[in-house]
Amino acid sequence: MHDDATHGQGNSVLLPRPTAWPMALALGLSLIFAGMVTNVAVAALGLAMTLAACVGWFRQVLPHEAHVPVAVIAEEVEIASARTLIQRPQRSASAAPRKVLPVETFLIGNGIRGGIAGGLAMTVPAGIFSVLKYHSFWYAINLLAAGGFVDWASASNAFLCQFHLQGLLAALVIHGLTSLLVGLLYGAMLPMFPRYPIVTAGFMAPLLMTGIMFSALNILSPILNQRIDWPWFILSQIAFGLVCGYVVNLHAKVRTPQFQALSFAERAGLHSNLVELDGSQADPSQTGVQRGTQPGTKNGDKEDGAL
Amino acid sequence: MAVQTTTTAGTTQAAPRRLLLEVLHDWVTTVDHKKIGLMYIGYALFFLVVAGCQALLMRIQLAVPNNHFVSPQTFDSLFTMHGTTMVFFVGMPILFGFGNYLVPLMIGARDMAFPRLNAFSFWISAFGGMLLYFSYFGASGLYGAGSAPDVGWFAYAPLTAQIFSPGHSTDYWTLAILLSGIGNIGTALNIVATTICMRCPGMKLNRMPLLVWLYLVTSCLAFVTISPLTAAQIMLMLDRYVGSHFFDTQAGGSAVLWMHFFWIFGHPEVYILVLPAFAFANEIIPVFSRKAIFGYPAMVAASVGIGFISLSVWAHHMFTVGLGPGPNTFFTLATMVIAVPTGIKIFNWLATIWGGKIHFTVAMMFATGFLFQFLIAGLTGIMLSVAPFDWQLGNSYFVVAHFHYVLVGAILFMIFSAFYYWFPKMSGRMLSERLGKWHFWIFLIGFHLTFDFMHVPGLLGMPRRIYTYEADRGWMIWNMIVSSGAVFQAVATLLFVYNMVWSYFKGPIAGPDPWDAWTLEWSTASPPPAYNFAEVPTVESRRPLWDIKHPEDPDSRYE
Amino acid sequence: MSQTAVIPQTANEAWILPSRGVVGMACLIVAESAIFTIFVVAYLYYLGRDQRGPTPRQVLDLPLFTSICLLSSSLTVHLAVAALHRGRRHACSLWLAATVLLGSIFLGGTAHEWYTLIYRDGLTIQTNLFGTTFYSLVGLHATHVLVGLAMLSLALVFSLNGSMSAKHTGRLEVLSLYWHFVDAVWVVVFTVVYVLGR
Repeated sequence: MHDDATHGQGNSVLLPRPTAWPMALALGLSLIFAGMVTNVAVAALGLAMTLAACVGWFRQVLPHEAHVPVAVIAEEVEIASARTLIQRPQRSASAAPRKVLPVETFLIGNGIRGGIAGGLAMTVPAGIFSVLKYHSFWYAINLLAAGGFVDWASASNAFLCQFHLQGLLAALVIHGLTSLLVGLLYGAMLPMFPRYPIVTAGFMAPLLMTGIMFSALNILSPILNQRIDWPWFILSQIAFGLVCGYVVNLHAKVRTPQFQALSFAERAGLHSNLVELDGSQADPSQTGVQRGTQPGTKNGDKEDGAL
Repeated sequence: MAVQTTTTAGTTQAAPRRLLLEVLHDWVTTVDHKKIGLMYIGYALFFLVVAGCQALLMRIQLAVPNNHFVSPQTFDSLFTMHGTTMVFFVGMPILFGFGNYLVPLMIGARDMAFPRLNAFSFWISAFGGMLLYFSYFGASGLYGAGSAPDVGWFAYAPLTAQIFSPGHSTDYWTLAILLSGIGNIGTALNIVATTICMRCPGMKLNRMPLLVWLYLVTSCLAFVTISPLTAAQIMLMLDRYVGSHFFDTQAGGSAVLWMHFFWIFGHPEVYILVLPAFAFANEIIPVFSRKAIFGYPAMVAASVGIGFISLSVWAHHMFTVGLGPGPNTFFTLATMVIAVPTGIKIFNWLATIWGGKIHFTVAMMFATGFLFQFLIAGLTGIMLSVAPFDWQLGNSYFVVAHFHYVLVGAILFMIFSAFYYWFPKMSGRMLSERLGKWHFWIFLIGFHLTFDFMHVPGLLGMPRRIYTYEADRGWMIWNMIVSSGAVFQAVATLLFVYNMVWSYFKGPIAGPDPWDAWTLEWSTASPPPAYNFAEVPTVESRRPLWDIKHPEDPDSRYE
Repeated sequence: MSQTAVIPQTANEAWILPSRGVVGMACLIVAESAIFTIFVVAYLYYLGRDQRGPTPRQVLDLPLFTSICLLSSSLTVHLAVAALHRGRRHACSLWLAATVLLGSIFLGGTAHEWYTLIYRDGLTIQTNLFGTTFYSLVGLHATHVLVGLAMLSLALVFSLNGSMSAKHTGRLEVLSLYWHFVDAVWVVVFTVVYVLGR
C-alpha cells in the first residue's frame, strides 16, 4: 500500500499546521488563575497572554484553516495473520466456514404481544377458581390487588369477595405489568429457542413467572402468599404460556443478519434443511456464530490448532 | 523523569539527530493527536510516581502505632494531594491520553476533530497540575499561611471556608481543579466530535471497536459530571473571594449541598475512570483469546446503561449524613442496579475467554487479574451500598480498601495491560515479556498484601485519614502487612519504568501488527506516521483486519 | 504487494457524517447546561431560607422588555445565518447588527437592575442567600451573554468589512447555536428567578 501512484493528492497529506497558540492560551489562563493566589501582576501578564493567544489562534483558523503538507513516506505494511493457518479439507461450495445459528427467529415484539394475550387468557382459570371456591369473581382480583394495599393484609374473605374499584385498578396494573414483563423476557429468550415456541412458551413462561412470583411474593404481597392456591395458580400460568406461545407462533419468523452469510442456494430455498447444511446436529441453545463444531472449520479460536 | 523521556522520545523519528530545542519546539507546538496523547501519558506517569511516593510516605507513617515519621500537618496534605493528584492528574490524563492516541487510529481518522483544542486541553490540564504542586512553595511563601491543600480530596464544607482554612492553600486546590476541568471538558468534547464526525467510510456506529464506544460514553458522562464540579468550585471560589454564602453554615448556607454537588461529580467520576479500563479489556481480552468479543450489542448496551445509572447513585457516599429512609432506599437500590450491566460485562468477557485459545502474554495476565479483582471490588461495593452496613463502615479503612480495589486492582491493572499491549504501537518496540512477568507477579503480590488486608483494620473500626493510632487497638499487625505490600508495589512499578526505558532503546522491533490483532490501528506502521493512514481505510465489519487476513471468511458476511 | 485496510465496498453508498462544529457546540451546550443546572438547583434550594432580607418579592421586578429583546435576538441571528446562506451579505450585516443591539439592550437592562438592587435596595452578594444565589446565577448567564456578544460583534466586523461570505455559513451557524442556547437558558432563569421565585 502507500503506493504514490494510486494516491490522490500526489504524495502528501494535508495536516493541521503545528502552532503554539493553544499552549499560550492555556498558559495565559493558568497565569490569570495563578494571579488569584499570588500577585495581581501575574494575572495581568496572564491576561495579556490570553488576549494575544486568542488573536493568534483566531488567525490559525480564519479565514482559512492553516494546513501543512506532510510527505507520505512509502512504506510497505504487510497485513497477514502471523499464525499458520490449518489447511481446510475440501468441502462443497455451499458450505459456509462457520456455523450460522439461528438463521430465522422471532421478533422481540412478538413476545410482548404473546405476553398480552397470555395475560388475558390467564384471567379465565383464575376467574373459574375464584367463582368455584369463593363464589365471587372479585376474590382473585382483590387478592392480587392486596399487594398494593398494606391495610388489606388482615381483610376477611368476605371483604375480598366484594367489588372494589381501586382493587380492580391495582390488579389491572400489577397483572398488566407482570404479563408485559414476562412477555418481554420471553421475547428476549426466543432466539435461543427458535423452533418450538409453543412448547418453550407453554413450559418456559410458566416456569419463569412462577419462579419470579414464588421468590418475590413473600416480600411483595405476604397476604397473597398466605392465601394463594398453587395448583390453580400453576394452571392459570400454563394457560398463559400456551396462549402466549400460540400467539407468537402466529407471527412469521424473521431472518437474522446471519442469513446473508448463507450461499445463494440456501437463501433461494433450494436447500432448506439447515441441519444438514452444517453436517452436524444443531444444538438449539447455541446461538453464536463464532464457534465451529465441524473438524477443520477455521475460525477465531481454532485457527492455530495445527501448529 | 526517566518516564517522561521514554514517552517523549517515543515519536521522534529516526531522522538525523536534531537539536534539543527543535525537538522541544516540536512538542510544544504539536497538534498531532498521537503526540498529545503521549504527552498526556507521560505527564500522568510523572504524577503517578509523585502521588505513589506520597502513598508510600503515608504507609510508612501508619506502619507502626504512635509513629511520628511525618507531622500531622504534612499527613493531612499528603492524603489530600495523593487523592487529588491520583484522580485529576493521573487517572483522567492517562485515560484521556490513551483515548487521544487510540480513538482516531481505531476509527480510521487522521486526527481529532479539533486538533488545536486538543493541544489546549492538554496544556491547561498540565498547567493545572503544576499550579497544584506550586502550592508547596507558593502557598506559604507569599502569604505566610498554610501550605499544600489539606482539606481532603472531597474538601467538605465548612472546612473549606475562609475561617477554617486561611491563606491560599484551598484556593490552589480549587483553581487547579477548575483548570483541569476545563481541559477535561475540552478533550471529552473532542472525543465525542471525533467519534461522531471523523469515522472512516463504512465505520458505522455498530461497527466501531468497543473501545471507541466506551470512550464515547465516558466523554458524554464527563459533560454532565465535570461541569457540576466546575459549578461547585465556582461557588466555593465566590465564597472564599467575594464572601457569598453558598456553603457558609453561619449564614444559612448548607454543608450538605456541597456534599451533593461534589458527589454528583464524584461518583460518575469513578465510572469515567473505570469505563476506559473496560475499554482496554474489550480490546485486549478478545485478541489474546483469539475470539471475537462475545455479545457486542449487549456490551454496548451495558456501557450506555452504566453511563445512565451512574448518574443516580451519588448519595451512597452520604448514607452516614442521615438522608432519611426514602433517599436511602432509592440510592441503595440504584447502586445495586448498577451491578446488573457490570455483571453483563463480566459474563461477556468470560464468555469471550471461554473456549478460546488463550495466549498468556503480560497484557493478558494483567487483564485476567483485572477480571478477578474487579469482581471482588464490585462485591465489596454492593456490601457498602446497603445503607445499614455503610453506617457501620462508612469512613473506615474498609471503604478505602474497597475503592483502592477498584482504582488499583481494576483500573491500574488494565492501564498496565494497555501499556504492554499498545507500547509496541506507540514506540515501535516490544516491551520485555520477561521483565513484564516479574512486574506482574510482584505487583500482584504487593497489591493483594496491601489491599486485601486493608479491609481488616476497617472492619476492626480504624477510621480513614487518622494520623496515627494507639498500640492496643489491634490494628498494628494489619497495618504492618498493608505497608509491606506497598513496598512490593513500589518495586514492581520501578521494574515497569525500567522495562519501558530499556525496551524503548533495546527492545525487539515490533512491526505493525505484533499481536495479530483485528482493529485498524494495527494496519499502519509502528509508530504510526503523522498522517496515520496514507490512504483513508474503508471497513465492512467490526474486525477489519480479520477481513483482510482471511478474505475467504470475512466477518462482514455475518454482521 | 501488500494490502491496505481497504476492502471494496459492496455498494458505493454516500458516507455523510454530521458537521463537527455543530456536534462540538452541542457537546459544549450539554456541559454548560449542567453548570447552569447546578446553579439553578442551588437557587431553588436556598429560596426562602434567608435569615434576613431583602427577599425576591420585595425587590425584584419583571424584566419584561429586556427579556423580549433577548428572545427576539434569537430570531434576528437566525435571519442573519439564513441571509448569509443565500449570499446576501448586507442583509446578514444588518441582522447581525440588530442581534448585537438587542443583546446589548438586555445586558444594559441587567446592569441597571443590578445597580438599583445594590444602591437602592442594598442587596449585594454578601447580604444573604438570595443575594448569593441571585447574583451568581444571573451573573453566570450575563457572562455567557457577554461572551456571545463579543463573538457576534467580531462576526459583525468581519461581515461589514466584507471578509465573510456564504462559505462561512457553517461557522456562523455554530455561533448562532450558542446564542440560541444563551436565550434558552434565559427562559429557564426567568422562570425560576422572576416567576416561580417571586
